[in-house]
Amino acid sequence: MDRPHDDGRLLTRDSAVVEHVDGPAITLRGRDDLDQHVRRDLRRQELVVARQFMGGRMWPYVAATAICFTLWLSFFPLAIMGWLNLPLAFVLSSVFATGGYVTSHEAMHSNIAAPGSKSYWINEWVGKVSTVPIVFPFSMARLMHLEHHYHCNDPVKDPDYTDEAPNALMAWYKTWYNRQPGVDGSIHAYKRVLAEMGTPDAARALKDTMVMQLVFMAVLFTMAWSGFAIEAALLWWLPRHIGLSYVRFYLSWAPHHPREGRTDRYDNTTVFKSRLGHVMSMGMETHMIHHLYPNIPNHRTRAAYFALKPILAQRGVDVSAL
Amino acid sequence: MELALKKLFYVMPLLFGIGFIAPLIAQSMAYWDIVGPWGMSRIGFGLLIGAPWGLYAVLRGRWI
Repeated sequence: MDRPHDDGRLLTRDSAVVEHVDGPAITLRGRDDLDQHVRRDLRRQELVVARQFMGGRMWPYVAATAICFTLWLSFFPLAIMGWLNLPLAFVLSSVFATGGYVTSHEAMHSNIAAPGSKSYWINEWVGKVSTVPIVFPFSMARLMHLEHHYHCNDPVKDPDYTDEAPNALMAWYKTWYNRQPGVDGSIHAYKRVLAEMGTPDAARALKDTMVMQLVFMAVLFTMAWSGFAIEAALLWWLPRHIGLSYVRFYLSWAPHHPREGRTDRYDNTTVFKSRLGHVMSMGMETHMIHHLYPNIPNHRTRAAYFALKPILAQRGVDVSAL
Repeated sequence: MELALKKLFYVMPLLFGIGFIAPLIAQSMAYWDIVGPWGMSRIGFGLLIGAPWGLYAVLRGRWI
């Protein structure tokens, strides 16, 4: 199992905040004129509203994973047999590679099925399968993502901090730059952090990462030297790069920029208006809700944000963008 | 084993240049009906580009 209790810890962290609003473990940013009683009351109101959006129908994530992964796998034999519209398959593969992170992300927080439940294996299956197109092992993705939650915007401890860039153009560039072989960013930074963690889970995630990368290379090399290099490039290699860049930009840079000094619970994520809209930005306009309540699934964060907006505004959160 | 894997991943860009970029160049040339320069075969030309490019990425830590 991939640390199934991690999400419990996140929930526990949230619950702990209710009990000890002004405790030292988590810094709760608020307007200076709010005393601790007002903050505690706001927090209670916040929880009452947020709980209405936790959970819900999660089967579409499972169905999307099963359908998209099956389709993507089928592209390979179909391409080899010459029965595939390659440009269309390239576009679809890029969409699957990018969108796969969203379904996997729900699994990282065990939002599809709770640890210990009979259907928990579905949660784990969705997580593992969804990120195959971007060659991103679930064990590593989950560990690193939870580290990101625990240490959001910490320049040393947040594994995603390397995505920070001064503007959108530089952020896109950095999504590519961080994947260069000698740069300590993206998956290279993850590998370094895993090695430093030194836990059995981290060691397993590191092993999974190496195995997956070797399989990926073996498939590319075999297909290429068998006369299917263009097919391999358009079905896996390029979609992976497109997916990784898109995910890095919209799930990491956009909602957390600027990162410097913003480590507080109500300050580590920015509510923003995306030029591409809510769906195309993968629901990241309201990523703040996810950081406040990871058990609210991605498709419900927007509604949750509007329900919570007055309370967040009283907290001092900048809600002017949406 | 761990050391061997580390070395393998260190030289992976070179392997990628030979294993993927070279045949990709050759097959792309074939797709657009481009012949190899200086009487070279397409795969020969692909290797001429892919292998040094991969080696450059190993040594410099960047593809460009």
